[in-house]
Amino acid sequence: MKTYAKIAIGAGLATALLSSTAMAQQTVTVMAYSGLFQERYTKAVVEPFMKANPGIKVEYFPMPNSAQMLGNLRAQKAAPQADVVIMDVSVSKAATDEKLLTKIDEKNTPNVADLYPSARIADVDGVAVTFDNLVLLYNTDTVKETPKSWMDLADKKFAGKVAIPGMPDIQGLSLVLITDKARGGTDYLKNVDKGIAALGEIAPNVQTWEPKPEVYVTIISGQATVGAGWNARAQVNIDTSNGKLGATLPKEGSVFQINTINQVAGGPGKDAGAKFINYALSPEAQKAFTEAMFYAPTNAKAQISDAAIARTAVKSMDKVIPVDWIALAKVREPIMDQWRRKVIPLSR
Amino acid sequence: MSAVAPAAAMPAPLPAAERSSGLPLVVLLLLPIALVNAFGFLAPVFNLLRMSFYESQATGAMVEVYTFATWASVLRDSFYAELILNSILVSLGITLMTLVCSYPIALYLHRSSGTWRTILLVLVISPLLTSAVVRTYGWVAILSENGLVNNALGAIGIAPLKLMFNKTGVVIGLTEILMPYMILALLAGFGRLDPRVEEAASTLGAPPWKVFRHIVVPLTMPGIALGSLLCFVLAVSSFITPKLLGGGRVFLLATEIYDQAIVTLNWPLAATLSILVLVIFGGALVLYTRALRAIM
Repeated sequence: MKTYAKIAIGAGLATALLSSTAMAQQTVTVMAYSGLFQERYTKAVVEPFMKANPGIKVEYFPMPNSAQMLGNLRAQKAAPQADVVIMDVSVSKAATDEKLLTKIDEKNTPNVADLYPSARIADVDGVAVTFDNLVLLYNTDTVKETPKSWMDLADKKFAGKVAIPGMPDIQGLSLVLITDKARGGTDYLKNVDKGIAALGEIAPNVQTWEPKPEVYVTIISGQATVGAGWNARAQVNIDTSNGKLGATLPKEGSVFQINTINQVAGGPGKDAGAKFINYALSPEAQKAFTEAMFYAPTNAKAQISDAAIARTAVKSMDKVIPVDWIALAKVREPIMDQWRRKVIPLSR
Repeated sequence: MSAVAPAAAMPAPLPAAERSSGLPLVVLLLLPIALVNAFGFLAPVFNLLRMSFYESQATGAMVEVYTFATWASVLRDSFYAELILNSILVSLGITLMTLVCSYPIALYLHRSSGTWRTILLVLVISPLLTSAVVRTYGWVAILSENGLVNNALGAIGIAPLKLMFNKTGVVIGLTEILMPYMILALLAGFGRLDPRVEEAASTLGAPPWKVFRHIVVPLTMPGIALGSLLCFVLAVSSFITPKLLGGGRVFLLATEIYDQAIVTLNWPLAATLSILVLVIFGGALVLYTRALRAIM
């Protein structure tokens, strides 16, 4: 009897101790992009969040791309290890359809109320946390005059000097949509023949459809001199290359790439995860990250410095062509087919 | 010595009944590797096979049902037939190039001896210590428009060649990357090459090319077959080098699997193509065993 009592007291004490430490330290695991994104997001959002919430520890789990995040979520469906995932909207849609996520709305995340309407995507459980847009990139050493049109990429003087991340990458797809619209295409869900024709004119100039490791480095090094890439990374690369890289929004406009923030269904750190998401969508976190990496904010109330906002597409929203990435996913295969048969053969 | 003696003495006095437990012993010894293979290879392959029958929705969502839709689309679409043919032809070309480049080196290595041989062997194997990614970037520096080769050509007044971001680049890069494997496989298969047979042929008046054609090549056939099988399999399944040197123009099975799995998120299609790669490997293995039987 005496030993049993001792064991009971011991066990009770241990439980109490464990639960008290659990109370003191909750952990939120955030799965998001590795590299530059991780570095800047940790400084601008994760660290200030932990400072404001000493009881919550954020573990940043880096992944190179959205597809691998989805792979992880699929593998951990029975016992999720992550609480929050930042991924591309089309991947977020797949995860939603597979019931891997929990719906985020005003009820559990008050800051959702302040988001731009375009940040809330129908039939997707997550909400937009960053907007990025396609920009024309150029090497400032060799290209003295800033290109004005996407079709400048077809100019003879850039023969063999164009680097575009081609389809199935959505940067190539975006370029098809932009040029299709510029040439009078009306509904990209029905056909993008005009865009494919435009890419066919650029194709003979293309040096590589797979700039590696990234298109920015390829252009900074001078291996290629013009190309297409995402604005946020381009802006950071402009700074780190001391202006060797140039980025411009051509007259035909651009499209947004959307990263969503998502709550994993049945994640281990439940409430704390929702708390982190709310913070990530708050005006201060949105401001800090836009100023750190030049992704356009999704919270309409974020007060961003003029210097930073000028380097995003926020001031030229009229140039941003709306794209329904979810609907587009359904016609991606036929577009890919045209790309293979009508664009690639022209670039050999 | 004393530890070995009882062990060596043990089998002799074993009664017949106990000796028949030899079969379970074999099973017991094979069990660990069988288990490792079952968990590490067979299970994932079956998983892959199962996944190729999942349904892939347009959004990338995967539904765990049984459907032949993916298989049907792969068999119907001429793009995949071209893809498979292209992969096999390019890989055969790479295998042949690797063989031609490696054979003289392997033969020289086989005939050398002492420290010199060791040094050469280390030189041959040393590229394997560097990752294929790094070596491929090395080729980018050599083959690019401002690279070593084109600069040299430019110096003697020849217009730059397109050596990279096309099939040529992929073949050159993979040939070099696969050479160590080919050389090692060739060396392993050169056991039957006896210098005395070559000498005998020479003394009987055969010119060197005839000795090579009728003595050296037939005797080294096992090495050639082994090296070719190994390089073909590695060429079909490599995707880093084609990604870096192909410039998005070279469509191969391995790169397509990567794109479908990582970019387009069509895992059932990626799984289907992976199974097809396994079928191609099976075909290569059948050819290899047939060739081996013909040689032996």
